[in-house]
Amino acid sequence: MNSIRKNKAFMAILYILVFLLLAEWLTPVITLTDTGHKTLFLVFIGISLLMAFLQVHWAISAGVKILYIMWFLINVYTESAFFSFEALGFILSDLRINVEALFSQDWAQTTDIFRTVLFFSLLWMAVYLIHYWVSFRLSIFLFYILTVIFIAVLDTFSPYNGDTAIVRIMVVGLMLAGLLHLARWLEGHRINETIERLASFIIPLFLMVAVSTALALYLPKAGPLWPDPVPYITSFSGEGGPGPAAVGRIGYGVDDSELGGSFLGDDTPAFRAEVEDGQYWKVETKDVYTTKGWELSEPGADPVLYSNGDLIETEFEPGAEDESLNAVLEMEQDFPFVLYPYGIESIQMEGEIRYSYSPVDQKIEPLLSGAPYEPDAVEIQFNEPVYSLTGLRETTVDKLAELPPEFDRYKQLPDELPQRVRDLAEEITMNSETVYDKARAVEDYFERNDFEYSLTNIPVPEEDQDYVDQFLFETKRGYCDNFSTSMVVLLRSLDIPARWVKGFNEGLQVDSDNERETEIYEVTNNNAHSWVEAYMPGVGWMLFEPTIGFTGSSEIDFDLDIDSSDPEEQELPERPQQPELEEEEDAAAAASEGSNGPGLWERINEFVSEHKGAVFLGAAASVFLAVLLFLKRQRWLPKVLVPYYRRRNGKQTFEKAYLRLLKQLDLYGIKREDGQTLMSYARYIDSFFGTKEMTRLTASYEQSVYGGRPETVEWRELKESWENLINRTSS
Amino acid sequence: MNPKDQLNKVIDNIEKVIIGKRDIAELSMVAMLSHGHVLLEDVPGVGKTMLVRALAKSVGADFKRIQFTPDLLPSDVVGVSIYNPKDMEFNFRPGPIMGNIILADEINRTSPKTQSSLLEAMEEASVTIDGVTMQIPKPFFVMATQNPIEYEGTYPLPEAQLDRFLLKIKMGYPTSKEEMEVLNRSQLSMPIEDLQSVISLEELLELQREAKNIKVDETIRSYIVDLARQTRNDPYVYLGVSPRGSIALMKSAQAYALLKGRDFVTPDDVQYLAKFVFGHRIMLHSEARYDGISAEEITERILTKTKVPVQRLVGQ
Repeated sequence: MNSIRKNKAFMAILYILVFLLLAEWLTPVITLTDTGHKTLFLVFIGISLLMAFLQVHWAISAGVKILYIMWFLINVYTESAFFSFEALGFILSDLRINVEALFSQDWAQTTDIFRTVLFFSLLWMAVYLIHYWVSFRLSIFLFYILTVIFIAVLDTFSPYNGDTAIVRIMVVGLMLAGLLHLARWLEGHRINETIERLASFIIPLFLMVAVSTALALYLPKAGPLWPDPVPYITSFSGEGGPGPAAVGRIGYGVDDSELGGSFLGDDTPAFRAEVEDGQYWKVETKDVYTTKGWELSEPGADPVLYSNGDLIETEFEPGAEDESLNAVLEMEQDFPFVLYPYGIESIQMEGEIRYSYSPVDQKIEPLLSGAPYEPDAVEIQFNEPVYSLTGLRETTVDKLAELPPEFDRYKQLPDELPQRVRDLAEEITMNSETVYDKARAVEDYFERNDFEYSLTNIPVPEEDQDYVDQFLFETKRGYCDNFSTSMVVLLRSLDIPARWVKGFNEGLQVDSDNERETEIYEVTNNNAHSWVEAYMPGVGWMLFEPTIGFTGSSEIDFDLDIDSSDPEEQELPERPQQPELEEEEDAAAAASEGSNGPGLWERINEFVSEHKGAVFLGAAASVFLAVLLFLKRQRWLPKVLVPYYRRRNGKQTFEKAYLRLLKQLDLYGIKREDGQTLMSYARYIDSFFGTKEMTRLTASYEQSVYGGRPETVEWRELKESWENLINRTSS
Repeated sequence: MNPKDQLNKVIDNIEKVIIGKRDIAELSMVAMLSHGHVLLEDVPGVGKTMLVRALAKSVGADFKRIQFTPDLLPSDVVGVSIYNPKDMEFNFRPGPIMGNIILADEINRTSPKTQSSLLEAMEEASVTIDGVTMQIPKPFFVMATQNPIEYEGTYPLPEAQLDRFLLKIKMGYPTSKEEMEVLNRSQLSMPIEDLQSVISLEELLELQREAKNIKVDETIRSYIVDLARQTRNDPYVYLGVSPRGSIALMKSAQAYALLKGRDFVTPDDVQYLAKFVFGHRIMLHSEARYDGISAEEITERILTKTKVPVQRLVGQ
């Protein structure tokens, strides 16, 4: 057995830490099972550890433990004195009862006393196990991790509060792990140190743990990423436990008056769509923003009724006539409305169905003999609207003032809306001239300003807080409702009519039908979505998609008839759907930049300022990588050096190679002292590696340097020895 | 036969008589090769005389012994001119100093005057009596012994005189196994009587010349100088190693390199010899004695502290 384990003071520290860790195990068990006598159990653990520490003979140790257990039983369960006949009789009779109960498999008959004995045995085993880990394996990591998990699980799923316990465990565990690592290291290097010398390792270790713990305790902490995992886990089991309302489940809902809060994914299918290209499926819009969510201003306004195949007039003009498309939806959930794509022309369902189109919220509800009907399958003719770029370029701001009063409800904003939201809208659109440009600027704003798409950890606004204000200025984190609501509010504060649209996005393409040239999409509750429609004066309503990571957009017809040298052309603000157009645009932009655009330096600056996060991360990563490579150079350097020196054959090569070898050996951890001669160092190296090569190389080196005859040294003959040694330093 | 083998033959020869003291024999050879002299500091009876006699016999040199006593006169050492009434002139009677290898036993027992007559002869390799200078035959090698200075009735050698010795060596007692071997060998006859010479005096002189040609690289010279300078800066030392000490270290390192079969000096040679060259040249403050620190320990400390040159000097 090696010396560090014989260092009593060191081992004593280890055992004290082990005791503290075991006490953390015991506490919740005692608390939760309402056992009592915690101190006496702790004393048992303490005695067991003490005897393990003192290396008491196992028979004596077992005897002491058994005596203690018996004393505990008699003391706790009877009134009689220890070592009296009554006490002995009590133990024996109890033993008999339990043995009978066990043989008859009558578990309920076993007494508390017996269970206490079992519990003691458990503690005994635990102590033995941990004693084995600490003093033989010198490794505690597994036990440490188990303790953390144990406390974390108890804290989460039981009434036990592990808030302080977990801190204590971290501190004790880190110290223990650190000390054991030190012990293993000392053993591995066969170093024998006194406790005074060890203190220079141990004290910094304890200080480190103390400082990091203090820092962790006093630094501000982010809220829990997982506010309370219990409802989440119970939701999987299908019980839908009584978790707090803070976490909702994603899907299509009707009530939007209180937005906010986190969402959990839900991939329950909603419907399957067979269509040429993925579409946004609109359900309805809402127009009144309440600072907390959305409501509808005039519920129940005169609907328009259509029959199967009738041309339905929405506020969106279908595109060119010959491009009419067909969409077939197979519903997997019962919705009392029709999900329709932009540019809808007509609907077809089985049976005598009428369709009620409400101009207020553009919702289409199927009716079967006057009653709401939930369709199983819907076939829709549609033609995606196309917007003329010429028209969009003429959406001047002054046209907004001329809009008829029907649009007023789309400009509504609550009086409490903070001024900074309005200011932000102004700031975003400062450089945009047309209404369309402004809308695009707002749409793009989120992507460029560190907003984050997330379903989790999204707060509900406080009583006096505005939903949009909170998102724009405080959290910058959210899902579609945050983005779309914010865009609508920002547009409205610029007097641009806008409304909030609900529906589903295109979903996931699961199949395709080559014959009919259609694709099949599966749309689930996860695809429930909200986006924005804004009114472009003179053009009409248009879809906008502010949510990061979503691709919905309106199709733009590039019908501009202008000279290609027009400088404004490069500023096309659209994000057309067709990729080839995008490429053209990029190419044009690049070409113009190449000729008279900003210089390389400005472009670099621009790139850096636009991708601050990425650039910073990249720089940090490369610095980290460089530091890592530098610190680990001992590992990889020989692989570079060997081929380098193998090919060289100059006069100085051997001396350089030798000095390089010295550096490598130094990195390897065998340091040459200042006053140590090369030869004595070489002998040490050779005895360390069990080689003779270092002595040989050193003799040649001495001849070369001290003897002043480098010409007599043949690098070719020494190469192999050198390579052998330098390769050893990288292992 | 190369110098290494020749010298090893001498040392092997000495080892037949002096058991387990190969290092002492080597150091004696080193001193002899570099025209130096050795101060042996030890108690009587550990084989000092035997060592010198064996050395003398091995190289076929003339061996003389002077036992220093308090009443010994300088003329007892260097010789005296006696009036020859027949020739009507003074005839010079050479003293025991006129030999190749001299054992000056218990040098610190005699008066400073006599001590200095010996030391002058050692330094000059000649004696002057009545205006006549006489060369002492070469090779000339003195091995002086002194009892440890704490003994009563001694005249401690002054620092300047100590500097004249190239090396100071302590012989030490043999190990029990070695001592048993000594008894075995001495039972029938003293082995020294059977010793034959293994090299001639001419060969020895040739080896002395070769030792001078051993290369001492610039890096080694600067290392020696560094070491010597360090002794002068140590807080325990009131008199450090003189430049003569640096020369002594270089010369002995050269001889040692020759002994080891090299034609150049390495830092290992310097480090090995520094203890024997510096030991009697470093004078310590009395604080050092209170702290129990010896000159050897100071040397050891300087050796571990001073950077060993491992690279060719720039521009070489």
